[in-house]
Amino acid sequence: MAVATPALTPTDIVRQSIEGRRFSPINALVAFTMLFTLLSSVVILITLLADTIAAALPVFASRGLSFVTASLSPTAASAGIWQGIMGSLALTAFVIAVAFPLGVAAAVYLEEYASDNRFTRFINANIRNLAGVPSIVYGILGLFLFVEILMRGVFGAEGGIGGRNVIAGGLTLAVLVLPIMIITTSEALRAVPGALREASMAVGATRWETIKHQVLPVAIPAILTGTVLTIARAFGESAPLLLAGAQLSLFFSVSSEASFTDLITTQPYTALPIIVFNFARQPQAEFVSLTAAAIVVLLVMLLTVNAAAVLVRDRYEQRYR
Amino acid sequence: MKSRTIRLLALLGALSLVLAACGGDGSSDATTTAPTGETTDGGSDTTEPATETTGGSGGEASGSIVVSGSSTVEPITARVGEAFDGANPGVATSVEGPGTGDGFARFCAGETDISDASRPISEEEIAACEASGIEYVELHIATDGLTVLTSPDNEAVTCLAFTDLYALLGPESEGFANWSDANELAAELGAPNAPYVEEPLVITAPGEESGTYDTFVELVIADISEERLGEDNDFTRADYNASANDNVIVQGVTENPTSLGWVGFAFFEENQDVLKAIEVDSGESGCVAPSADTIASFEYPLSRPLFIYVKTNDLGSRADLTAFVDFYLSDEGLAFVSDAGYVQLPAEDIEATRAAWDGAKG
Repeated sequence: MAVATPALTPTDIVRQSIEGRRFSPINALVAFTMLFTLLSSVVILITLLADTIAAALPVFASRGLSFVTASLSPTAASAGIWQGIMGSLALTAFVIAVAFPLGVAAAVYLEEYASDNRFTRFINANIRNLAGVPSIVYGILGLFLFVEILMRGVFGAEGGIGGRNVIAGGLTLAVLVLPIMIITTSEALRAVPGALREASMAVGATRWETIKHQVLPVAIPAILTGTVLTIARAFGESAPLLLAGAQLSLFFSVSSEASFTDLITTQPYTALPIIVFNFARQPQAEFVSLTAAAIVVLLVMLLTVNAAAVLVRDRYEQRYR
Repeated sequence: MKSRTIRLLALLGALSLVLAACGGDGSSDATTTAPTGETTDGGSDTTEPATETTGGSGGEASGSIVVSGSSTVEPITARVGEAFDGANPGVATSVEGPGTGDGFARFCAGETDISDASRPISEEEIAACEASGIEYVELHIATDGLTVLTSPDNEAVTCLAFTDLYALLGPESEGFANWSDANELAAELGAPNAPYVEEPLVITAPGEESGTYDTFVELVIADISEERLGEDNDFTRADYNASANDNVIVQGVTENPTSLGWVGFAFFEENQDVLKAIEVDSGESGCVAPSADTIASFEYPLSRPLFIYVKTNDLGSRADLTAFVDFYLSDEGLAFVSDAGYVQLPAEDIEATRAAWDGAKG
């Protein structure tokens, strides 16, 4: 902003940039400040990573992958995070199954069908606001809507975990990321050139045929990228799950007789971020390194998801363009 | 174009199914058997808990046991639960530790089977349980000692009497930023360790949701505050760093050379190298340092009993719960008390607890 001082006309600026660089102190200062900001955030990130990995190394060195595959335990020497990994994956499955179709459908309606009137503007503004609502608030919503009303009221869950099951947790997370899902899909649809739609309709295609054959195929790489990043967000959430009923505990077990249906309805579950939080509360010094190790696993899984996002985008961009 | 989109969606659907399939697996290798009818347990309820030496009373009990309550007791119950689960894979067990008060709220709402507690159940909680028809038995399982802490660098303090603690932490101490600010109040109370140094008083301690807070107030503050201020003044000063996370308290105390705080004995034991326990004087006992011996004998004035409360409403039909508590009170189960850093009950108290449980089983 400081570059264009009022004395310069656009012609001057163009001439300057063509004739070669001249030293401008303000320019240099701005550039330096930006570089410094960038470096400081990188340094913070690297410090954090290095610190965590250094603390986690002893665990992986002495126990290898058995730390990943062992169950929760109050004894630090045998405690693992398998239940958290499984729980997080199950939650993610629910998020995909619920938030993806709902989010894409809502976005397609808003972008392709809805006319631009006061009502849709109101809805749009609300979705943007919802995306900014703190996640703990969704936890309260999930506790009330899915645990109290849906599981206990509608399905009559009682005894045991009393409806605080992985379905309720998954639905809570799905509702949490739904606004983000809608927004990213909307952006993807908006990026599709209008000429494509007009051309399709000009040769007689209906609106739905246009969306199905022209708009969605072009938008799908961006939609999938958005989806994967949204899933990553859900994967790292802990606050809403604390309220919606994930086990915050050093020990829990599921019944060996539990069928798949039992596992998702009547058996307790937990998630990886919750385990990180709980490990950090423990008094024994060994749990400090276990906490770090759990964080490393969480980060690796998140980075894998993000890498998948990049791959998916590259792959489908090539295919459709 | 069309088939590609469909293929893509199918891929995504398949992915979510795969995730869901491996998702539920949980801890144990789930042998997804067809419903095998009610495998109501064979012979776990007849064995004598005191003589049990191996495994979680060898049962095939099935069902689910939900435990919540004190974060102080959680490490004991979690260890018991883990050992019990090894012998009873058919039972789903979960142990959480949100705090004694929160635990009783859920217990009296009928949501949990066992409530861990670091203090006896209160009048209001008894009323809540009665209102919802929850019957229970109180089982004393271990002893803990609230440990008053400061940094090892703090050489000015080695012992504090209840009156000292009241002057520094009680409701009238609000606003005292230095130890010496409490001098006047301490003199008025006749506190033996005043005057204090002119150093900042940095307090990190449990918050009001904690049973550890309640016990501290009840043992140290309540009597003096009732005498001086009348009833309903049994609380500490509000202007301190309250945390539900005991590690945060340990850290807060360690970081400042003139700090003050209190935690359960297990947290002190695990962090002895960075903490200093202040001896405590009830006014009659003289200065007593917390140790396994002084806590077990209640010679240490801040000793407190730890309990589990077991719901007894449908004990007859709950072979899993009966087997769990049987195992908890067996010698093997109670051995986890010391594992978790707490102090074992003397033999006669163990007998009393077992008798109470046998009575409840009927």
